[in-house]
Amino acid sequence: MSLLAQTTTTTSGVSFPTLVFTALVWSALVFALIVIFLPEQTREQRARIKSLGTSGASAALFFAVWALESQIADVSVGTGGRPGGDLVEQHNWLTSFPIASSYHLDADGLGLALVTMVTVVFFCTALAAWRNNRHVKLLTVSLLTLETAALGVLVSYDWVLYLIFWALPVVPVFLLIRAFGHGHRVRAAERYAALTLVSTALLTLAAALIAFQSGAHSFDMGSVPVTLHGTGEQVAFWLITGASLLVMAVVPLHGALLDLEEDSTGVLSVVFAAVLPSLGAYGLIHVAFGFFPTVGSSYSLLFAGLAVVTVVWGGLAALRADDLRRLIGHVGTVMMGVVLLGVAGHTTVSVTGIMFLLIARGLVVATLMLLTSAIQERTRRVRISQLGGLAWQVPYLAAFWLAAALTAAGVPLLAGFSGEFLIFTGSFPVHRWATTVVLAGTLLTGGVLLWAAQRIFLGASRDVFVRVRDVGPLEVTFFGVLLAVMVIIGVVPGHFAGLFENGAAYILFPGTS
Amino acid sequence: MPNPNGAAVFTTMLPTLLLLALAAVTALIGRLRPGLPASFHRWLSSIALVGAGIAGVITLDGLEHTRGLGLAAYSGAVVADRIGVFGVVLLCATGLVAVLTSGAAATRLGPRLPAFHALVLSATAGGTVVAIQWEMGMLVVGLGLLVISLVGLVALEKTAEAPGEVALRALAGGGVALALLLYGLAIVYGATGSTNLAATAGLLAHAGPLEGLGLALTVLGLAYLVGAPPLHRWVLQVASVSSGAVAGTVVSLAAAAGGIALVRVLVSGFSTSLRPWVVLAAVLGAAACLYPALLSLAAGGLRRLIGLGACLQGGLLLVAVIAGGIGGDYRPAGGVTALLFGLVIFVLSVQASFLAVARLEIDGIGTAVADVRGLLRRSPTTAVLLCLGLAGLAGLPPLGGFIARILIAESAVAAGYAWVAAASVVASVIYAIPAVRWMATILVEDDEQPAVISETPRLTALVGVACAVFGVVATVVAGPLLYAANQAATALR
Repeated sequence: MSLLAQTTTTTSGVSFPTLVFTALVWSALVFALIVIFLPEQTREQRARIKSLGTSGASAALFFAVWALESQIADVSVGTGGRPGGDLVEQHNWLTSFPIASSYHLDADGLGLALVTMVTVVFFCTALAAWRNNRHVKLLTVSLLTLETAALGVLVSYDWVLYLIFWALPVVPVFLLIRAFGHGHRVRAAERYAALTLVSTALLTLAAALIAFQSGAHSFDMGSVPVTLHGTGEQVAFWLITGASLLVMAVVPLHGALLDLEEDSTGVLSVVFAAVLPSLGAYGLIHVAFGFFPTVGSSYSLLFAGLAVVTVVWGGLAALRADDLRRLIGHVGTVMMGVVLLGVAGHTTVSVTGIMFLLIARGLVVATLMLLTSAIQERTRRVRISQLGGLAWQVPYLAAFWLAAALTAAGVPLLAGFSGEFLIFTGSFPVHRWATTVVLAGTLLTGGVLLWAAQRIFLGASRDVFVRVRDVGPLEVTFFGVLLAVMVIIGVVPGHFAGLFENGAAYILFPGTS
Repeated sequence: MPNPNGAAVFTTMLPTLLLLALAAVTALIGRLRPGLPASFHRWLSSIALVGAGIAGVITLDGLEHTRGLGLAAYSGAVVADRIGVFGVVLLCATGLVAVLTSGAAATRLGPRLPAFHALVLSATAGGTVVAIQWEMGMLVVGLGLLVISLVGLVALEKTAEAPGEVALRALAGGGVALALLLYGLAIVYGATGSTNLAATAGLLAHAGPLEGLGLALTVLGLAYLVGAPPLHRWVLQVASVSSGAVAGTVVSLAAAAGGIALVRVLVSGFSTSLRPWVVLAAVLGAAACLYPALLSLAAGGLRRLIGLGACLQGGLLLVAVIAGGIGGDYRPAGGVTALLFGLVIFVLSVQASFLAVARLEIDGIGTAVADVRGLLRRSPTTAVLLCLGLAGLAGLPPLGGFIARILIAESAVAAGYAWVAAASVVASVIYAIPAVRWMATILVEDDEQPAVISETPRLTALVGVACAVFGVVATVVAGPLLYAANQAATALR
């Protein structure tokens, strides 16, 4: 019996509605709404806003862990990791339209994996945002709204809800990049808005097609696989796939997101690089492949090819990159290429690996982006060629960088290993050449990160950096949290494996128990 | 014509009669006692509009006895059915917002404020006739009353030269649109031998080229009201030169009445089984969505952006109306439900946006980019009101406009017009980009100008914010609102 089941029913026979997913999604927004009405003139007022921001992110993290552990406890009874378990929430919403819609929240293994990653990243982002003193209210409200949007996408099981959450980041991201960005920030903001809106348009058309042609006369996303007449399946599959690939930062559609990451600063780049592409991956795997597994598997070779192109291009671009944020963006692209290989593999093992890797990717990219911000804040430099010999002044920063680089390279006992090992193992029998090339590309990227570490931290100490100080207590806290999660997943992957396997089986073989 | 049933005539015509009577009283009092305070006229008009709305709702009780068919009078020329009631209530609510926020126009209107109230009431009365009519003659009478009243509203601001010219142009445009409608209906009458719209669909089962021309002219005439291209220029002109309060009133009342007229004439009268008008409306709808959206990318001022947003809403209404019948799966496609749901959201978004413009006018702030840069720091309420209005027009989530767009797209796909749905979605995407760009300018960018103490009357500000917030709340209460829209739509099935 799960944790939640124990709390939802009382001994007197009065049952209370399950509200874990509702609390998970909306808690951050509730704090955002409170923050909107607070002043931000004095230092104390700004501190109050930051406290509320951290509290909102903490509340979401609390409910995410609750949902995760509750579902892990249910693995033994077969429901953990599959939708329709104890936590499901479904209430009538738009029932008067010929195609009905409901407030349906649920999550499978993939959704829970990403929920965990997203809440951890936002919690650390909220802590990192304490160092900012400009536009504090805007930053806090936008970040909390973005967290609600991301979590909403991951637990929505109704098309209307899914679309609302999918398009919700447009305004906050646009405002954030205009307020905090640098360089070509206007162009980056507009490209991102166009990208998200186009992906929303594609998803809207897909939703309309599916709701009408499936014969279900419902916007509900809980009934899979979906059967459409004629070319409807192909059209709907490619509409969803197109929308997802647009925000996944995979080659050749990676430009806008990389620009956004490069032209943003501080905590923004963390969210843009770690969270937004993961939502695209969720859309591709959970929605496109989950709804149309047969159509998806028929394009396996195409996705393997896309994975190879993404990893090779991303790896080579990372090798050439001088801007730290650009480098990390390329590393994220390479890891997303590995995810694509897992999609192409289309086996339980490879899809289970995807879940591990998406968590690892989010944590690695978030850590590296936060480290970049820390380095930039101390040295006023963000180009690798202008850095060097920092390890003497900032040994802890160097250690955190090394840990993240090793995770990206898939070193055992760190989060990246489980994901990459399972993806390569699951995909190799299906796509031998592609798996070999992607494996090589992954090793190259790990090497690039280590080489970057050498150029940034090693070498002779420079006079210009002699006053640079190492991490403070606040930074140790959020870097420590990120590192701890990477280690926990790397050391005890078995704790999560059952949940993720069930989730993978649900995506690959929908409709079977 | 047979003798009308007295009770049915009284019940169906009560809202219209009430509005017309109070319009006359307001105009008369304004003429005889010019010194009365503005609040007197405001509350008198409010009472008329609330009373008319309640009278409309009361007729719902009578529907029980007609098994939902509605009370008919004058041989079925007017029918108080559910869609009529929905239209009456929506129009009265739109008029009420205009009346309650008339304080924003007080400076420019001066002693003509009672005339403003009288014209709002008569325009609403015209709209209610359009909502309850089932006959060509009544339709023309209702539209005539509406258009003349709206032109009068624009012309009221004759102290400024530009509004006077725009009123003349709008009058000419309205005349052309009414003429198109009249020619169209005349051709349809010639083909069917009946002026009763309820009988038209059956008599026009096989539309030839001439009948097709009649249908096309009628569609074009109705497109004028909702501001859909090619007869959309009046919306842009009114938006550009009239005061925010007047522009909001004129555009939203025209859209509300136009939306109901589209359903009454095209879906209920002609039926979606008549291909000529459906194909024309589909092409027109797609173009009417895309054209203003593309123009919005180059919009240099807030007024033009809002005006183009209103035109885009007109296009969306046309998209919804083509899905007013049965879908490809022999079930209702839901176009009318989506249209009525969207109409409520669109009308309030237009009102909220123009009220924000009115606040800017009162506070002496312009509507160019430089004027609204960093507005959040200078005038927070206006900035939020403006952004919510723009987000509502652009259909950005989580506002109700987003849900309306999904429902319209879904109904168009269900009706077999996926390409029109795609055009409407693409247009929404295009329009959203400049809307977000302006929002960023208002909310994020810094400027050196000092804070502004708002001079806007408190009631105007309150109603404006309520309209804007409704866009957000509409998502939460979308269920009941959609239920009401669907109940109204059932009158046509």
